[in-house]
Amino acid sequence: MNNIFAVAGVVIKELYRRKDFYVLFIVTILICVMMASVNIYNDAHIVRYLKEICLLLIWICSLVVAVTTTARQIPAERENRTLLPLLAKPLTRVQLIVGKFLGCWLACGLTLVCFYIFFGALSASREHQWPLMNYFQAAMLHWFMLGIVVAMALLGSLVFAAPSSNSTICFVIIGGILFAARHLDQVALTLREPLRTVVYSLYFAIPHLELFDLRDLVIHNWPLIEWKYFGLALLYALFYMGVFLVAACQVFRRKAVN
Amino acid sequence: MSSSRTFWLLALALLVVCFGTAAHLEPQFQAWQGSRSSGDIFNVVLGDSRRMFANSFYVKADEYYHSGYYPTMFDDNAAFQTTHMAADTGAVNSKNTGDEHGFLGPTRNWIDAFGRHFFPNRHTHLDEGGPDDDLGGSDNVREILPWLKLSADLDPDNVQTYTVTAFWLRQRMHNVAEADAVLHEGLRNCPGSCDILFELGRLYYESYHDTDRARNVWEAAAKQWEKKYPELNQDQQKDSRLIMEQITTHLAKLEEDHDNLPKAIEWLEKAKEVSGTPEVLQQDIDRVKYKLMQEVNPLLKPLY
Amino acid sequence: MTAILRTEKLRVEYRSREMRQATKVALQGLDLEVHAGEVFGFLGPNGAGKTTTMNVLLGFVPPTSGAAYLFGIDVRQPIARQRIGYLPELTYYYKFLTAEELLRFYAKIFGLSRSEADRRIPELLKLVELEHAAKRPIKSYSKGMQQRAGLAQALINNPDLLVLDEPTSGLDPLGRMKVREIIQRLKNEGKTVFFSSHELGEVESVCDRVAIIHQGELKAVGRVADVTGNHASLEKAFLQIIGYQMQPVS
Repeated sequence: MNNIFAVAGVVIKELYRRKDFYVLFIVTILICVMMASVNIYNDAHIVRYLKEICLLLIWICSLVVAVTTTARQIPAERENRTLLPLLAKPLTRVQLIVGKFLGCWLACGLTLVCFYIFFGALSASREHQWPLMNYFQAAMLHWFMLGIVVAMALLGSLVFAAPSSNSTICFVIIGGILFAARHLDQVALTLREPLRTVVYSLYFAIPHLELFDLRDLVIHNWPLIEWKYFGLALLYALFYMGVFLVAACQVFRRKAVN
Repeated sequence: MSSSRTFWLLALALLVVCFGTAAHLEPQFQAWQGSRSSGDIFNVVLGDSRRMFANSFYVKADEYYHSGYYPTMFDDNAAFQTTHMAADTGAVNSKNTGDEHGFLGPTRNWIDAFGRHFFPNRHTHLDEGGPDDDLGGSDNVREILPWLKLSADLDPDNVQTYTVTAFWLRQRMHNVAEADAVLHEGLRNCPGSCDILFELGRLYYESYHDTDRARNVWEAAAKQWEKKYPELNQDQQKDSRLIMEQITTHLAKLEEDHDNLPKAIEWLEKAKEVSGTPEVLQQDIDRVKYKLMQEVNPLLKPLY
Repeated sequence: MTAILRTEKLRVEYRSREMRQATKVALQGLDLEVHAGEVFGFLGPNGAGKTTTMNVLLGFVPPTSGAAYLFGIDVRQPIARQRIGYLPELTYYYKFLTAEELLRFYAKIFGLSRSEADRRIPELLKLVELEHAAKRPIKSYSKGMQQRAGLAQALINNPDLLVLDEPTSGLDPLGRMKVREIIQRLKNEGKTVFFSSHELGEVESVCDRVAIIHQGELKAVGRVADVTGNHASLEKAFLQIIGYQMQPVS
């Protein structure tokens, strides 16, 4: 396990030593502060539009961090030839993949902590309330969703040659899932066979990332989700993370590293 | 040295030529129909697609009115054809059909059933308590205002945005000054709009209690309607009768409240001409006529 | 003498990109042994199969047939690499890390305790003369400094076998001298060093035994003196063994 945590540690160090996260964070703060300064009929208590903008930016930034950080891990190791001295150590390829995944996932978690603290402060400044459990549920599900995204991007980095193509494909898939996955079964019913079966199978096979999007519940102050459903959603995420990680390990085992 | 001087002289000459040409062409560019430089930022950035964005933000306000419980393009939106926040103002005829509480329909599979726990799944209105059923928080309807403001900025020609915004500002937020400002802005962008004039009249009458101004504005609205009505097509005429009915009935009530009963009857007769329920208005006419007769002959028995 | 490093009929084939060849043979039945405590030079022209041999020994490339063992353990087992240190030919390390952080990272991979790492890291930095630059990010290092950092990471676990792929490549004479001194010092400590190089002069001065490989085949192996034979130098012997015909100078 030490091996895995050592690899994860390097990934986290890389995140906070690169400028990406800070740029995204500052841009988010600037946009939100600008939006907050807009005068809307002299009413200083309007807050939901601000929450929506802030959460949208958080989601975009976190997805960018997750995909770009993960997409460059293995290719950068290969390109910079740091992979060889690493694998020359008593470190298996599986441990390397798991370490990279853990590092990227924890890095996303740290990113989310910073963003959600800012979000909490921003909304509390107008709402004067701290629905901490709601924020906890939203942040936790968001983090686990990013875990699926990280695992998927890691698998992609082993399949696709360039980090840029991997990132693009990941963004397209994630965007498609978030916007349309919930309705794929309805779309399937409007199609003819065999396309109907294909789309219907896709509906059940893909990870439904939209399940983890609690933005509307947080923005409009809906009550907490029941904890049993919350737990089931986390398990669902862990299942897909496992699937993608196992696939990534299998692909990496067969790849030449030199 | 000499080549350096030549370079700088040439650069200076080029700069002078550029600025001169720009200055010469500027007036022609300003006069050009396709120029976007004279528009506001939305016009410049979005062009004609701003109306599309304006409409989506208007619907967004309705989505906020329902605290996020809203049909997507894949769901059955028959119960949301007319935005509820506008329908509740009484400004529009609702075209909604179907079940607004269950547009999602029965659960289709386990993913759908599971997923419904993770997004708003109950029909609520912000001014009726919202998801918490907290009637004390009914002024949360303020949350729809940013989207209405954005929609109005993007499409200044949409009358309904101004009337709906003014209604909620005045009725729920008790922010009469801002409602007044919104309606005046609407009149600047949509001069002579009956809907805006009607709403302005309501503001003067119900909030400022300024009868004369209210009367003037409502009568101006009625005149505008009579001027524009013949120019409309059949469907538009059918839709526009509602506003005329509202104007004339409010004028009638105003006159009745100020004991100007003949004038009240006159307005009620006009209302009856455009109303979809003339029999109801006939009852009002009879009532007011009786009231008038009672003034003349106090010994008359009550009508009902 | 026990063989720390052993290959048995090692064969590696690659799929060829050339039209006429289906596969390319990088190693043809290589039988090699390196004994404990010796400095072993692995020589050959470019493309001979030296790096391929090292890749197999380090588990990067699976052999097509045959076997390779480190300390008697099959090289495909990660545990085989617990007691080795490796310096690749082209060394690039995580540019955002400092030398100290890099060594700490590799120490953790080897399972060294924190106290052991705290003791070992300053020693190594002093050995490779990087103690003054330990806190600077590696991206600010010169080529020679990066090579020395690479040597330090190869020694972090106090390995019994050091595998070096052209350790003096790209270094100036001073840098090459320092590397030779380190190899000599390791030899005096009883470590085994297996390295490939094109610098036959330093191979001659440092190595106990050498092997010469050409086109995937082992051409000669033995003590330096034995391989040199009657030739004036190891270089001349090398050229003769690989079949190079010197052109007469007109």
